[in-house]
Amino acid sequence: MSKVTVEGRKINMKQGEFLDTVLPFKDKLYRLARRILVSVDEAEDAVQEVYLKLWKNKSSIKNYKNPEAFAMTMTKNYCLDRLKSKQAGNLKIVHSNYPHSQNVAREVEANDGVALVFKLMENLPEQQKLVLQLRDVEQFEYAEIAKMLDSNETAVRVALSRARKTVREQLIQYNNYGIS
Amino acid sequence: MELARVKQLLDAYFEGATTLQEEATLRSYFSGSQVAPELQQYQPLFTGIVAVQKEKSTRLLHLPEEKKTISRWWIGAVASMVLAAGIFGLLNQEPSLTTEEKEALAAFEKTREAFKMLSQNFNEGAEELVYIHNFKETKNKILK
Repeated sequence: MSKVTVEGRKINMKQGEFLDTVLPFKDKLYRLARRILVSVDEAEDAVQEVYLKLWKNKSSIKNYKNPEAFAMTMTKNYCLDRLKSKQAGNLKIVHSNYPHSQNVAREVEANDGVALVFKLMENLPEQQKLVLQLRDVEQFEYAEIAKMLDSNETAVRVALSRARKTVREQLIQYNNYGIS
Repeated sequence: MELARVKQLLDAYFEGATTLQEEATLRSYFSGSQVAPELQQYQPLFTGIVAVQKEKSTRLLHLPEEKKTISRWWIGAVASMVLAAGIFGLLNQEPSLTTEEKEALAAFEKTREAFKMLSQNFNEGAEELVYIHNFKETKNKILK
């Protein structure tokens, strides 16, 4: 069987074909996981888990019209489950993982408002956070977002409007009073 | 871009009424250096989103080796074939004997031959016994 190297590993063609389909949206899955779970490590773990699940069902992945949307939905569900089980287990949720997010933080240091947006997004209610992530960061169509969140376009637009306004108000508040 | 147009897009943006293209226009406007002073308060929002878009996963994926499951199946198939061939061979094989067994067999054959010869001679001897009968008849004639 012929071998190719992806992600620094020798893999056979079947894996190669699979990865060609699913690897292009790995960062999107990661960012979504990060938005929900906050911790970098947990987000990376979640991505790995989602890919294992996709790999186990690789024969059916071609049957999905949009593997990316499918994988996003899967990631969202997995991460929300993780979050729930963590809360149920009364474990402490780490809200900011500064040691890990330093690389990003350093990159955006030039504009100190950027780190703030990061933080403001974290504090949004779950649904608004997801909608803002899927629309403004990943630029999905309203219909796609509605499908991923098991919702409808109107509800998505309403949640999006609320999320954007909340972030705007908190930004203005921060600028006026310096409250973080 | 005209300030009025940007303001219009901004309003639509906060109402959740912009298209993807209009949102891209806003992002590029606020990423530029000529943002109107009155709109500068919105700048972190859009540059922040652009920064979030750049976040990447840094861990490599690990997928289970598919080869393992294939070779396991393959080994199983080969093993059962070898087993089947072995059983078939055992059933059809001529008994191959060790030298000791061959000697034992030869000895057995020889002994059997010897016994056969003995029994033959014995039978010949037994046939001669017919004359005893004759002797009896003759004796009866005489001693009547």
